[in-house]
Amino acid sequence: MISSLGEGTSLKPLEIVKHVLGNGLRVAINPYIESPVVSVAVYYDVGSRNERFGRTGFAHLFEHMMFQGSANVGKAEHFQFIMKAGGTMNGTTSSERTNYYETLPADQLPLALWLEADRMKSLAVNQENLDNQREAVKEEKRLRYDNQPYGQVFDMITSMVYTNFANAHSTIGSMDDLDAATVDDLQEFFKLYYAPSNAVLAISGAVDPVTCIELVEKYFGEIPSGENPLVLDVSEGVGVSEKHRDYFDQLAPLPAFLRGWKISDRTSRDHKAAMLGGRILFDGDSSRLYQKLVKGDESVVQLFGFTDERRGPSAIYMGAIPKPGFTTDSISAVMDAEIADLAINGPSDSEMKKLRNQILNDSVRMRQSSLARAQQMAESWLYDGDPRSYESEINELLSIDGNEIKLAISKFIKDGESALLNVVPSAPSVGEVTTNVQ
Amino acid sequence: MSNKSVAPKAPAPLAAVPFMIPEMEERRLSNGLRVVLLKNNSLPLLNIRFISHYGEVNDPASRFGVIGAMSSLITEGTKSFKSREIAEKIETLGASIGASSSADAFGVSASCLSIHFETVLDVFSEIILSPTFPENELELFKVNALEGLKYQRSQPPFLADERYSKEIYGGHPYSHVSAVPDMIRGLSREDLVAAHSSIGVSNCTLLVVGDFETEDILTRMEKHFSRLPQGGESMSEFPELPERKGRKLVVVDRVGSAQSNIVMGNAAIPRLHPEYFAATVMNQILGAGASSRLFMNLREDKGYTYGAYSKFAMRRFAGDFEASAEVRTEVTGAAINEFMTEFENIRNHEVSTVELDDAKNYMTGVFPLRLETQEGLTNALGQQIVFGLHERYLQDYRDMVNEVTAEDVFKVAREWIRPESFAIVIVGDSKSILDQLPDIAEETEVYDTEGNRIS
Repeated sequence: MISSLGEGTSLKPLEIVKHVLGNGLRVAINPYIESPVVSVAVYYDVGSRNERFGRTGFAHLFEHMMFQGSANVGKAEHFQFIMKAGGTMNGTTSSERTNYYETLPADQLPLALWLEADRMKSLAVNQENLDNQREAVKEEKRLRYDNQPYGQVFDMITSMVYTNFANAHSTIGSMDDLDAATVDDLQEFFKLYYAPSNAVLAISGAVDPVTCIELVEKYFGEIPSGENPLVLDVSEGVGVSEKHRDYFDQLAPLPAFLRGWKISDRTSRDHKAAMLGGRILFDGDSSRLYQKLVKGDESVVQLFGFTDERRGPSAIYMGAIPKPGFTTDSISAVMDAEIADLAINGPSDSEMKKLRNQILNDSVRMRQSSLARAQQMAESWLYDGDPRSYESEINELLSIDGNEIKLAISKFIKDGESALLNVVPSAPSVGEVTTNVQ
Repeated sequence: MSNKSVAPKAPAPLAAVPFMIPEMEERRLSNGLRVVLLKNNSLPLLNIRFISHYGEVNDPASRFGVIGAMSSLITEGTKSFKSREIAEKIETLGASIGASSSADAFGVSASCLSIHFETVLDVFSEIILSPTFPENELELFKVNALEGLKYQRSQPPFLADERYSKEIYGGHPYSHVSAVPDMIRGLSREDLVAAHSSIGVSNCTLLVVGDFETEDILTRMEKHFSRLPQGGESMSEFPELPERKGRKLVVVDRVGSAQSNIVMGNAAIPRLHPEYFAATVMNQILGAGASSRLFMNLREDKGYTYGAYSKFAMRRFAGDFEASAEVRTEVTGAAINEFMTEFENIRNHEVSTVELDDAKNYMTGVFPLRLETQEGLTNALGQQIVFGLHERYLQDYRDMVNEVTAEDVFKVAREWIRPESFAIVIVGDSKSILDQLPDIAEETEVYDTEGNRIS
């Protein structure tokens, strides 16, 4: 139950109907009539964390394959069906899961369910689609990573922070691994991870739960259940895998650096405390590092920081693009001093008030969008076994006190080992792309 | 893959759910300031926008970027609050405040839980009425803006946009996409104060969307904004767009580029043009999205690119048609050929009823999706205000789309896509590009990434 917002305003919990099909598909339905719209989200319990050495990039490749047709849907017709119905759709892949979702006028719910069921049941995993989508992934890699200044730094720092291969490798994967992939490999992957028992389906919008359940049973009911995927080992050793790397970036106009620290998994209290501590340090114009580096010292062009929240060991990243005349070392030292201050003295009262209000704002704002509600239910069920776990999560976030934040920042950041990636702009004539300095 | 003609057809929709678009209400404060209100009490949230027509087109040609700088600095200090206090006051409430400018408008926006409205309004109105543009903040802005300009030059889409806008808009202020370093260096506090002094009742509207009581909000607005001055006249007369007789190729040489960023097109129509709906439907068929012809051809069929699109960039006083894609360097020539094939196709053949209906269904279907959140509604109404669309625009939108015929589509394609006089801008490896496109244009120019002409 979401706490009151203060001054007598409170928010009722969302109505959620749970239903589990005979084949194991978990279905969460949230009737919400404010807008004549429905969102459907399917979350498959497979991300880059499930990939083993020599087989990277498969989870993401499937995000592409899933739009290439199935028994009753032609190649690329998925887009067409949705767009013709006046809807929008997409799919994304992370380390933790692969999701597919669509938002449509509410009367088009049957179409969305039919499309999702058809590809869950009968995806066309064949040579033509594999060849074609492998090229599309390579193109995506060129566009988003290789041809962008700083485009590769987040993948690099991830590989430097984590020691376990399951956590350390990138979601886009190795192009060599993709080149080596066969249709048999992909069919095996599909059978294992795209079974109804490995997925959550969430529906939110101007729909009636009884109709929803009838339609879900009709379209998904006959899909055979799958085997349970192998138990995953995402455990991490102590410390980072690589403390320092210099990366020569031909496209970067200015030097930059990125630091990473390991923290505990997303369900633990000290993960949440560290994440909130991170917000105090780098989130928004009133954050400590923004006020110190961007405003006070005027020493950085840009500051960035975020928490990579994972089901297993997670990480916090902070970095900056220093202004000419300032060095990575000097900026890093200031960063360390701010981290130490938070780790020793803890957050101020007004910082605690700010965190509280931001958590409440986010929870209210999220409610406006049928897609955000569907995604939240699906993620909660997939990760925590309960489509309502986001509510207890909000309450847990609100219950964390300044002392916990102080201790978490001290343990994970101040006293934790960090990885440092230095981005050095290099002239195009330099042939070398990366150099390892260890 | 065989073309399976769908055995169990895609399912029919359920009964349609009606869409009641909330009505907006228009009021005036005692000084004449227009206030547009749209009540939506479903969640305890509020969005406020202060929208001025005093956009970047009002910058003198040699000083483009003053209004942009003014909007960046207006939140950095007021008579009562320092920059840091503004950030702290607002973020402590979990609220947000921001200012921005575009070619056609300048605006300040805020959003918050409705219980925090009073405090947010104090800061919001101070920012608009009494900004101080402190010298130290201006100096910091200049240093950062100069670094930002450097960074922009490393981004191919920026380089393409910069050169393309020059080709299309010539002496019109829409030709500027960014300030130049010398102007930033010379910027003074007085420039900002002068730009700000033009903002006033005559060119502004206050928009409030969300959880409020009408009379209560008007009382509060009156208290804060009755002292807003009348403001200056915003500009509405501009130089004509250049007329191009033949096709022109402009290459921006970017050594080491794995890709070519292509933008091509011609001058077209402003936002309030009577052919707006026909042009938008035509473009939906041609290149607006992932089921449009350009995408289906260049990405799905040929695999040249991650995405190929076209659009009508329609602003208040002028507009253009532009098509774009980022493609692998070695298929630059082949990709341009496919673009040209699609342009000729839509210019020479009427679209089918099926394609037309699909495009209209998409446009009318996604329309309510975009109005689902308060931000979505606020954005839609903001556009309505900036472009001067009529007050029942949201209510009439779907009818206007449905009235477009295949003949209308054919007409706008012939009229507003003119490949024979395109400007084609490509950012990428110039040698490879020129080798692949020996006879594409009557005229060819090559620039470096700093904007200097090489050949």
